[in-house]
Amino acid sequence: MDLAIKDVQRHVGKFVATIIGVGLLMAIVLIMNGIYQGNTSDGVWLIDNTATDLWVVEHGRGGPFNEQSRMAEESRESVAAIPGVAKASPFITYTVQRDVAGREQHFTIIGYDVFGGLGGPGRIVAGRPIAQAHYEAVADMKIGLKLGDTFRLGVHDYTVVGLTRKTVDAAGNPLLYLSLPDAQEVLFDQDNRALERTRLAETQRLIRAGYTSSEAGRMLPLLAGGSGTINAVLVKLQPGAEQQFVTEQIERWLYFSVYTTQQERSLMLEGRLKKMGAVLGLFRLLLVIVSLVIIALLVYVLTVEKIRSIATLKLIGASNKVIVRLILEQSIVLTVSSFLFAWVVVQFTYENFPRTVVLLPHETVASFLIFFIGGMVSSLVGIVHALRTPPSLALGG
Amino acid sequence: MRFGRRPHLHLEVEVSIVHVEGVRKVFGQGDLAVEALRQVSFSVEPGELMALLGPSGSGKSTLLLCISLIQEPTSGLIMMNGQKIYDNGWTGIDVRRFRRENIGFIFQAHNLIPFLNARDNIGIALEINGIKPKAARKRALELLDYLELSHRATALPATLSGGEQQRVAIGRALANSPSIILADEPTAALDTSRGTKVMELLKRIAREQRTAVITVTHDIRMIEGFDTIYHLADGALVADVDPSASHG
Repeated sequence: MDLAIKDVQRHVGKFVATIIGVGLLMAIVLIMNGIYQGNTSDGVWLIDNTATDLWVVEHGRGGPFNEQSRMAEESRESVAAIPGVAKASPFITYTVQRDVAGREQHFTIIGYDVFGGLGGPGRIVAGRPIAQAHYEAVADMKIGLKLGDTFRLGVHDYTVVGLTRKTVDAAGNPLLYLSLPDAQEVLFDQDNRALERTRLAETQRLIRAGYTSSEAGRMLPLLAGGSGTINAVLVKLQPGAEQQFVTEQIERWLYFSVYTTQQERSLMLEGRLKKMGAVLGLFRLLLVIVSLVIIALLVYVLTVEKIRSIATLKLIGASNKVIVRLILEQSIVLTVSSFLFAWVVVQFTYENFPRTVVLLPHETVASFLIFFIGGMVSSLVGIVHALRTPPSLALGG
Repeated sequence: MRFGRRPHLHLEVEVSIVHVEGVRKVFGQGDLAVEALRQVSFSVEPGELMALLGPSGSGKSTLLLCISLIQEPTSGLIMMNGQKIYDNGWTGIDVRRFRRENIGFIFQAHNLIPFLNARDNIGIALEINGIKPKAARKRALELLDYLELSHRATALPATLSGGEQQRVAIGRALANSPSIILADEPTAALDTSRGTKVMELLKRIAREQRTAVITVTHDIRMIEGFDTIYHLADGALVADVDPSASHG
């Protein structure tokens, strides 16, 4: 006779409610695992999926993702002239918050050389890459745009010609690809008030320099600069070219900083993602501890509820094995059922989380083992209490 | 009707089932020492009905715990089924196993396992004693039949009346065909009518199965027809009470 199962059958409602409660807590742990992995996965996705050998950025800057890097667009030609460089492409990345697809949303614009340059969208799931210099876009599906949709960014309308899936920046924001000049315009073009302020300041400077007001007005268009700024130059090396040599050449002669893809990853993982990873890791740990404490308390309460029955069993001669089995089995039923419930909940919900949730099978198995072993260890509290219960407790009113 | 075999008992020779001699139990030490049992001696024969009377604090529960082999006396001798269990110290016998095989317990509050039905409450005592589940179920049903409770076999304790619960508890006590039944205030939670029925059942069991029944009770009305009545006062058996006089 399986006493643990009999007890569960007798109190099905209570057990189901307990399993749901503990299961939801475990589901949070699994989701936190997924968010932790998703955070890392998102953090390096753009680096891993930009087919480039070297990232050339403003001198002393930590790359285009961790830190703002501003370079002249002409830098591309200088880099391309370095021996060993097969291709050098301008690259822009910046995060905006705009009203697109009917809602205010956060996304990252990637500007690249659409005519054979590096840094464009890797796999387009619908439509085609950008083929014109202006007013075409490739958008991640998460933004909510569809093929053929037009949307306004700044002062122009753009048409969605291609769609990507799960293309995100380091913060998990979806990507929107534009041609380099379009991206520069959206990023660097000033609004009317800012333009007015700039023009006023320029006019006043010219007047202070001795020009008349009308002369200054005529000279203003000559001073207006283009938006030829980029964040990085992506480099593809020639076959057989020495990466170290090319890097040294760029750093020495062009006075830029150069990172390999691996170094970019390290910058991201050790910099921007490290603190977030630590916070998420700490939360995971705390949640696991809280879950195990709750399991221990539940098993203890379940044991205390049965303490007179346990004393009776001991009095009528039940061995310690019978008592331990009763408590341990209930702990196992509670832990396994709760984890199963958690797993099902997570499977049905993780796609709907606003952040990327990456569920790794080995991590799920490890979590299960931690809960399983932790649950058994937690049940020791109940087991010790039961084994210490004197059979004499069964006697008397 | 007797259920099962009793391996340790040789009924041909009428030996004492329980023999208690000079048992003392002292709690505490020095000036704080309290002598709960003072040189208690008695014997119980197979099929004998023995009642232990006494006010609260007289030592009834301590004596019951000692002969239940739960509490170790301070000194004395306890023999059961001809075996020395305690002789100024445990003799090394596996007391839990001995209790399982030879002693049945009936409690004041029935102490049925609330999540087991009537049949399983009896069956668990058999399974604990190594009987296979199928055989245990069969024996449990036989016992329920004997106790006229077959129709309540699948009922949970909470749905049984107090009298039915106590009969199931008696069934559990009888499950392993013990030579001794220790009953701790078995009628305390029952009304007079149900209490009388329970005591009649215990008497029937003692007569039919030659099981020694030791009952601790406050209620002198319930021990009519008992063979021996002991009175405990301040830890000492002060006198054998004449059963006919006690309820006369």
